[in-house]
Amino acid sequence: MPESALGQADLAAVASAFGHQLHAAGVPVTPERSARFAETVLLARPVTIDDVYWLGRVSLLSGQAQIPVYNAIFDRTFRGVVDFSEGLAIDPDAPPAPPAAHSERPPREGEPGRESDGVAPVTSATPGSDARADADLEDRSVLAAASPEERLGHRDFSECSPDELTLLRQLVEQLPLIPPMRRGRRTRRHPSGARLDVRATLRRAHRSGGDPVRRIRRRHVQRPRRVVLIADVSGSMEPYARVYLHLMRGAVRALGAESFVFATRLTRLTRHLATGGPDYAYAKVSEATPDWSGGTRIGEALNRFLDEHGRRGIARGAVVVIVSDGWEIGDPADVGRAMERLRRLAYSVIWVNPRSAAAQYEPLAGGMAAALPHVDTFLSGHSVRALGDVMTAIQTAKRGEPRRG
Amino acid sequence: MHAHDDLADLLPDIPSLQACLADAGYLAEPGLATALFCAVRLPQPLLLEGEAGVGKTQSAKALAEILQTPLIRLQCFEGIDAAEALYEWNYPRQLLGIRVAEARGNDVAETTLFGREYLIERPLLQAIEHPGPRPAVLLIDEVDRADEEFEAFLFELLAESAVTIPEIGTLRAHHKPIVILTSNRTRDLHDALKRRCLYHWIDYPSLEHATEIVRMRVPEAKATLVSEIAAAVARLRTLDVQKPPGIAEAIDWVHAAVLLGVQQLDADSVQRTLGAVLKYREDHEVAHEAGLAWVAGA
Repeated sequence: MPESALGQADLAAVASAFGHQLHAAGVPVTPERSARFAETVLLARPVTIDDVYWLGRVSLLSGQAQIPVYNAIFDRTFRGVVDFSEGLAIDPDAPPAPPAAHSERPPREGEPGRESDGVAPVTSATPGSDARADADLEDRSVLAAASPEERLGHRDFSECSPDELTLLRQLVEQLPLIPPMRRGRRTRRHPSGARLDVRATLRRAHRSGGDPVRRIRRRHVQRPRRVVLIADVSGSMEPYARVYLHLMRGAVRALGAESFVFATRLTRLTRHLATGGPDYAYAKVSEATPDWSGGTRIGEALNRFLDEHGRRGIARGAVVVIVSDGWEIGDPADVGRAMERLRRLAYSVIWVNPRSAAAQYEPLAGGMAAALPHVDTFLSGHSVRALGDVMTAIQTAKRGEPRRG
Repeated sequence: MHAHDDLADLLPDIPSLQACLADAGYLAEPGLATALFCAVRLPQPLLLEGEAGVGKTQSAKALAEILQTPLIRLQCFEGIDAAEALYEWNYPRQLLGIRVAEARGNDVAETTLFGREYLIERPLLQAIEHPGPRPAVLLIDEVDRADEEFEAFLFELLAESAVTIPEIGTLRAHHKPIVILTSNRTRDLHDALKRRCLYHWIDYPSLEHATEIVRMRVPEAKATLVSEIAAAVARLRTLDVQKPPGIAEAIDWVHAAVLLGVQQLDADSVQRTLGAVLKYREDHEVAHEAGLAWVAGA
């Protein structure tokens, strides 16, 4: 290597310190990646800061969502927003710098890679309102004799006290989750399959002197069908949202389901729910969902889901479950159009509206009335028992009546 | 080892790679050029993500062209398995071999029956076995469509440039293939897979860049027509369409316009060629609502 030992040592220090800063800001940079960054710098011998920008972006990142944070940290480190000597002396125990403050700075002129404005910046916004604020509203006495299942099985979630909701979470997590099945592409040997397995039949024929006496058959395997859960976490759904997050967490883990929540905008939660305990998941949810308990734009959220995820494959042939009361602050016709699109993509659409459990319920909410014609199954899911029905509906989902398109 | 030096001579730095790509008809912005340069010279697998039609697949083709090595392409799909991606035993031929040996009264040794002549090489094995002198470019297209188990199956290939066939042993590449993976992000790829790869997100190109690309790909089109269409595509992208047209659609559009003898884009010619750029009925409605004259830039 032509580099002097000193030069290499400096490069290693710079690369690892930069990686460390990114890590502190929430980008999962491993030492391995930092080493790769150093390697690319040695290889490409960057001349300008922009060259270094691209080398780092290519070697340190692993996802599009990390780009805004990377831009901010890169600016801070290499474009002189902060003296780099500070970066070298960072304290590993110091609280991570809030990336939101940096990623919202306007991009610099003539700088490459700033076109990704369509991407929501990764921000660690302040968590939403604390749902335990109403903890002292009522404190019902807990019956000691009846089991939680008996006591709470039929109780509407909106009537439960916070303590009871904690109990309910355990009940919800115990709900049996069985995925719906679809026909797989591969085949497996089966006595009553429709296809002849020529290969195995011939192999068997060796036992009978080359004459195929027994036919071996195959049939298509059954594979789990994809399940997509989209929950409304706006203000009007607040009593139900937390319980449904537990259901989603169970579904993500047991069924490999995809999970989204929306109020005014859509957030993908699959990753957050798939890792860590329940409290970690909630912390992540409120971090990733700054509009937790805000207003509702169902049509916009559904369109966004379809454009960015559904049409690319997530919704195709899937059982899509939407949990919402259908209160739309936008144009209800948007909801209708989005549902029509969704239904053409999905295998089955299930709408869960906890408000529909009321005896005098009529789908008067504009969004709900617009969505209903495009829903295959409509359920209440307002209590643990009703949630059981939701799980059954997911498991036995059938394609609805013939649809257009 | 000499293949490495050869690559170093051919592509000493990023600008030279960019120039070579441009000669091959592919305009790479600095970020993509950096990513491809590192993928070739480190060498390290490269994961490319971006909207459909921004040129992910095309970049691998151009790279293979400038290196003058074969492009080996593996199109992923749901349920793809080792037999389709890596290798398969030529079962009918093995049976025939047995029968012929029996007829001749010979013994069939298992080692001959599971020898290389009975092996059908699929793309991944082809890439490993490529004799050189330069490494092959292996394009693993739309890896997000394959099952998660298949990703795990790629690890050995990506990390070691080797594949293991139980009957034969581990086959190691003499010339580590240059691996490019593309993903449309229908699902999150496994971290273990991402960890092994360089990463680049291809953005939709700026108006000037898009114009240059289209001009390069459709040299027979008039320059004014190309600029008009690039601007019209940019306008369509601002509308609330389900599938914003990409660079591939812009090229299709120019082709269609040239075929129909369109000299200048106007509402009428947009009307006739809109099917080349928007592929959804709803998107056509959106475009009509916005006004075709507006799309044409009138």
